[in-house]
Amino acid sequence: MSSNQSIPMLMLNDIHKFYDRLEVLKGISLDVTKGELVTFVGPSGCGKTTLLRVIGGFTPFDSGEVILDGQRIDHLPPNLRDTRICFQNYALFPHMTVAENISYGLKIKKWKKNKIQERVEELLRLVKLEGLGGRMIDKLSGGQQQRVAVARALSLEPKVLLLDEPLSNLDANLRLTMRGEIRKLQERLKITTIFVTHDQFEAMSISDRIVVMKEGVIQQIGSPIEIYERPENEFIASFVGYVNFLDGVVERVDLRPDMATVSTPVGEINFVPERNFNVGDKVKLVIRPETINMSRSEPANGDNILQGEVEIGMYVGSLAKYTVQVKGERMIIDQTNPRETGIFKENEKIYLTIPKNIHVLRKN
Amino acid sequence: MAKAEILSIPQRNLWEKIKTFINAELIHILAAILFLLLAIFLLYPILAVLIKSIKSPDGLTLSYYAKFFVKGYYFQSLLNTLMLGFINTVVCLTVGFCMAYLTTRGPLSLRKPLKFIAMMPLIAPPYLFAISLIILFGRNGILTMALGLKWSIYGFSGVVIAQTLAFIPLAYLMIENTLMSLNPNLEESAYDLGASETRIIRTITIPLLAPGILKAGLLVFVMTIAEFGNAAILGGRTPFLAPDTYQMIIGEADFEMGSVLSVILIIPCIIIFFLHSYLLTGKKFTTIGGKPVASEPRKMTPLVKIPFLIISCLAGLVILISFGVVFISSFTRLLGVKNEIVFSHILNFDSNRAIYNSIQVSLIAAFIGAIIGTLLAYVIVRGKFFGRTFIEMVSLSGFALPGTVIGIGYLLAFNTPPIKLTGGIMILALNCVFRFLAVGVEAGISKLHQINIEIEEASADLGANFMTTFYKIVLPIMFPAFIAGFIYTFMTAIVSLSAVVFLVSPGFELAAVKIFDAAAYGEIGIASATTMKLVVIVIFCMVILNYITKKTGFDVSQKKRSVTV
Repeated sequence: MSSNQSIPMLMLNDIHKFYDRLEVLKGISLDVTKGELVTFVGPSGCGKTTLLRVIGGFTPFDSGEVILDGQRIDHLPPNLRDTRICFQNYALFPHMTVAENISYGLKIKKWKKNKIQERVEELLRLVKLEGLGGRMIDKLSGGQQQRVAVARALSLEPKVLLLDEPLSNLDANLRLTMRGEIRKLQERLKITTIFVTHDQFEAMSISDRIVVMKEGVIQQIGSPIEIYERPENEFIASFVGYVNFLDGVVERVDLRPDMATVSTPVGEINFVPERNFNVGDKVKLVIRPETINMSRSEPANGDNILQGEVEIGMYVGSLAKYTVQVKGERMIIDQTNPRETGIFKENEKIYLTIPKNIHVLRKN
Repeated sequence: MAKAEILSIPQRNLWEKIKTFINAELIHILAAILFLLLAIFLLYPILAVLIKSIKSPDGLTLSYYAKFFVKGYYFQSLLNTLMLGFINTVVCLTVGFCMAYLTTRGPLSLRKPLKFIAMMPLIAPPYLFAISLIILFGRNGILTMALGLKWSIYGFSGVVIAQTLAFIPLAYLMIENTLMSLNPNLEESAYDLGASETRIIRTITIPLLAPGILKAGLLVFVMTIAEFGNAAILGGRTPFLAPDTYQMIIGEADFEMGSVLSVILIIPCIIIFFLHSYLLTGKKFTTIGGKPVASEPRKMTPLVKIPFLIISCLAGLVILISFGVVFISSFTRLLGVKNEIVFSHILNFDSNRAIYNSIQVSLIAAFIGAIIGTLLAYVIVRGKFFGRTFIEMVSLSGFALPGTVIGIGYLLAFNTPPIKLTGGIMILALNCVFRFLAVGVEAGISKLHQINIEIEEASADLGANFMTTFYKIVLPIMFPAFIAGFIYTFMTAIVSLSAVVFLVSPGFELAAVKIFDAAAYGEIGIASATTMKLVVIVIFCMVILNYITKKTGFDVSQKKRSVTV
């Protein structure tokens, strides 16, 4: 078993899966390196759970390869794969104690009794459930059940850990804590992990890389920052957080300084191009609400400055949200420190400053 | 003029008062009337049996019971019955589990046909299998002659086989239900942790299903020991409690011993009735919420698949053959002996008259049963008085009580004034009403649970009184349940044998009794033809029910399941 750094721990090659005539996975390819935490995220029905079940061996697929640590495993049933899954509903055996649940796989592998006991203790310590080995499952809280499920999946030291929406049954606060703990545990054990979720922010906060899926197709693979700041299409841009889109046409491209100008319904906007644009390209500007600045007086420096009128203002404490009309276009703006910038009233005339490092999508 | 006015006011007030009182207390008045009916037609007959078994001319006595335990024959009958119940339960559960496992976990192509076959016995009266076994293995049976068998189908093994076939659907349905409600992720988790399929079944599936399987087992046990037809037709010289009771009453007119046998038969039924309801409320493994995941067909290991397939196919084949031979036998002079096609069995006058009589009785029973069932359901769900659960228990108990016992009870209770019914058609109908009340009541209860009480309160708030609300709101909403109750009572009544066999009068024969008599006298053709007619009627009823389910969205079959369950 070579764990060569250059060979990915898990490789998916062109996986297709049909349910009757409906294609739910349309050629999924993906490499996951050792020790990485990769999140599958997307709206329901995008195929993320199906893909996870394909990796685990629960769902037969129609074509493609699953390669684990350099070996094809797609012909193997789940019990012969070195992957372990943790289901959304935990699927803890309700007729067994915590310890019996955790040791279920160890007994099948015919571990010695004292070894099993040691391992169970170790795992209980790992997930902070010391002393609860004798408890029945229904005497545990939701968060504790979650930990048992993780401990059980880790018991056999799998090469890849599969987590199917593990936090979706927990209340909001607990979800935040568990999110951090899972990440810490994963980093400590350096265990390759696939994490399925429908919650974009969960994906953003926990992952090394995010795989955004829609209708059985991978839309983009990238780090949280890449996904948020440089989305490759409109779907990804609007899937994670809110976005102001502005359609436009490239008017001018300068090389020194590197700058391009786009004419949009709200006026000309300058931006620093991330790649080559030509004059006449139809583009879509992706402007995040929190990057726009609002002021009552005209700002001194000559960035992209627009004039607008506040339509709706909502004060939500940590930020103030505004809907602003700019030449018939409606833009959403978040002022992240409202005490500093002041509160704007409805119908107030204001100035908007849009930074030059805007992400720009090319339209086909 | 003025005087009249003054007089009329208190008078109107009194009338108003009565009306208000009736309106406010209507549900209690209704409950009282219904309870009275239950007491007369369900509790009193059982009590009559009990009293008969301990009453001698000079007071109370236990001498009849002493006779039961002293005389080897009676005691043997009890042992046989319990043994029959035990073997049957084990076999039915095994077959039911194999079939249910395949139809819920097995290959998709297999699921529907297998399920269809497993449910087939539902459309037939249980004693169809006794008749088919006689055709195949009787003295002149096809296989007896063809293979020169020395083995006689009359006796313990014959009864076991017939009963098993008859109660496979019950076991199958209940186990299938629990298998489907088991979160598939549990088995998948075990699979994921390295367990083989046999190990998953042993350590996860069966332990988790244990309460459900136990429940199914208890029910099969009760139904088996109480079943009359198969044991009476195929029992031969082997004594069983239910047919012995019949022999005591009808053959020897020994009402005291007949009552003793009945009471003995009731005891396990009552024990199990309580065990069963205890289990219903008791141990249930909770699973954590989350999206329900459909059980994907999985690759079954041959180690599981092959034996399960063999058992299921064998059972399925025997069921199909049984239906087949009874069908052919209806059109054959004497199947296996004189194989010529005849229509005399189908056209037989006595058989058709018996069918006609059965339809008549069952229609009356269905109508009364549906009304009482609907009203009982309403009183049970909406009433807030003491003893509500007792009424519910009593109204459901008819199902758990052996038919023979209720039959004798009616015979004892209603052959003398004040309520003399014996010899008439009403005793047959009423007997069916109260025996099968559970179906209509359960359907009504589940329908009512779907209706928010606020709908009724809204009606009251808009000024309607109890009668108006009931008539305009409750009845229309409960109508599907009423129809379901009607058809189910009709279906069960028309095939039921064990109680009415005591109550039919000469000259007014029912189809089930006709089949029983014909089978006993070796008129297999007539027995087969009459059975097939009942099968057709039951199929017809099921089609209507299916239609109603689709039309109203009220899943009647589900309700029926929860009743038989």
